[in-house]
Amino acid sequence: MNILESIVIALDAVRAHALRSFLTLVSIAIGIFAIIGSGTAISSLNATVTKQLEAMGDAAYQIKRTPSIQMGNTWRKYRNRKALTYQQAKEFKKLLNIADAVSIGNTTFGITVKNGNLSTNPDVSLHGVDDAYFITNNISLSDGRQFLPEDIAAARPLAVIGNDAAVKLFPRGNPIGQSITIKNQRFTVIGILTSKGSMLGQSQDNEVLIPISNLMKYYVDEWEQSVAITVKSPGKDALEASMDESIGLMRALRNVKPWEDNNFEIETGESLSTQFATFTSYLNFFGLGSGLVALVAAGVGIMNIMLVSVKERTREIGIRKAIGARKSWILMQFLVEAITLCQLGGAFGIGLGLGGGLLLSSLLNAEAAAPVGWIIFSVAACTVLGVAFGLYPAWRAARLDPIEALRYE
Amino acid sequence: MAAEQPIIHIEHIAKVYTMGGEKLYALRDVSLDISPNEYVAIMGPSGSGKSTLMNILGCLDTPSSGIYQFNGLDVRSMSDNELAEIRNKEIGFVFQTFNLLARASSVKNVELPLVYSGVKRAERRERAEQVMHSVGLGDRMEHKPNELSGGQRQRVAIARALITNPAIILADEPTGNLDSKTGKDIMRLFYNLWQSGNTIILVTHEEDIARHARRIIRIRDGCVESDLPNEENEASYSEAI
Repeated sequence: MNILESIVIALDAVRAHALRSFLTLVSIAIGIFAIIGSGTAISSLNATVTKQLEAMGDAAYQIKRTPSIQMGNTWRKYRNRKALTYQQAKEFKKLLNIADAVSIGNTTFGITVKNGNLSTNPDVSLHGVDDAYFITNNISLSDGRQFLPEDIAAARPLAVIGNDAAVKLFPRGNPIGQSITIKNQRFTVIGILTSKGSMLGQSQDNEVLIPISNLMKYYVDEWEQSVAITVKSPGKDALEASMDESIGLMRALRNVKPWEDNNFEIETGESLSTQFATFTSYLNFFGLGSGLVALVAAGVGIMNIMLVSVKERTREIGIRKAIGARKSWILMQFLVEAITLCQLGGAFGIGLGLGGGLLLSSLLNAEAAAPVGWIIFSVAACTVLGVAFGLYPAWRAARLDPIEALRYE
Repeated sequence: MAAEQPIIHIEHIAKVYTMGGEKLYALRDVSLDISPNEYVAIMGPSGSGKSTLMNILGCLDTPSSGIYQFNGLDVRSMSDNELAEIRNKEIGFVFQTFNLLARASSVKNVELPLVYSGVKRAERRERAEQVMHSVGLGDRMEHKPNELSGGQRQRVAIARALITNPAIILADEPTGNLDSKTGKDIMRLFYNLWQSGNTIILVTHEEDIARHARRIIRIRDGCVESDLPNEENEASYSEAI
């Protein structure tokens, strides 16, 4: 009597009550689907974001008032931080030594850009940048020219526009040299950004750049007045030295006392992806948690169905015992049946989860990634589930008295 | 009685159930020996204890007191697993209600005891087919029990009992669910099995069936009432059936 023999018997028993088995199986599939589905989606998300963050380069870092990714109730912690002002940033840029380039930027969202009676949706990101931004952020143009230091210093009404705005506002003809209107201010288009495609279903070309000096003057509300500084260090080796200098300089500029913590954030691409991974691990716990709850519910269903099955097959158990089946073999037969049922459900759930997760990530244009770890986990979970909830019914079957069982009608 | 060692040796066995503090004797005092190639009928009215005796003989149950030796081995001291092994290898059960697995084909039903004794698939199938032929069901291998007549079902059950070459065949009212003609066919099969050297114990309450055996043990109130050879002339009997 080996495992294979038991699996054959188990599959036969599952087939004999196809509908009942299927319904039980669905409940397991839902639990596994929740785990695998969220796992797949999150793996894809992680792969995409990591790739994007790596594109920022490993020699660059950012200094800003508050962290980019905040988890939990941190608003209280950061609300008293003083703004990182444009003035401070300009001072910082002037004084920092270990750097290839330092750019200062600020962004305001939900802007409408017009050209005559042509207009974009009110969802354009308006970036206030300086000349160094094109270096620190590896920005390239498909046409026209970048901002010059004089453009920034004089706050000239010039704009570099993203592909979306170019297509929308200038369906025919070249936008270079033409004018656009942003909040009743006229700007002359001097360049067009190279298209970056889309990420997670969002176009990355829906943006317009203007000189930071202009943005700070007209468009930024008081509470948004902090800017972000991006530093490109001379190389990966110099990154640490450059960051050390930046921290010291920033503390001096912001009057941080020696016993106080930094009142600003300094982030590298790497630290951001670590933060993002921490963030997604919370999402993973949600998926796992809800999946596990569903699985426990499914387990109760398994136990119920197995108890019914044992009751119905009392006579069969009696026959098997009379012709020489040991207790342990009866136990194993029913345990294997429970595990088989769980594994069938699990396989179903893994299929659904992978399909769903991949569909979701393709809708979001994320990198496809199969959560191998979660699949292994699911197979293991199904086995544990089968044993945990199949043991009691199997034990009941094994300890039946053969004489009583044979008499059972 | 034969001089060789008996297959079954029972001395003063009793089976007691306690119900509500009161002792109920299913068997009071039974002693008997059954030797190889005997054909024994155990008779008695319902409540006489013959079912209990059959369960004990079949190692489905153990006596409360007394001695039960099977092929010289003490059954009372056996574990559940050892009892299961004796049932598997040494005893072939034939039941009144056939007790076949409804979802399995007849050849699969016949194979089942070999599954539990660990015989490989190919050998199992070969032996099962052989036994199916010997009970006259060579053309019914893949039929499920519900596709067979009562007589055919009982033949499948007999094939299942025979497949391990057991020391005894224990038949409990084997014709109880069959019409008299089919019953007669089944009894002829038992007779042939006995003729070819098998040991058969028949449990029944019908005189007509019991007279097929060569020895008749009558049980009443948990005791052996009589234990006599069947006086009928064997030659005239074999002619009759």
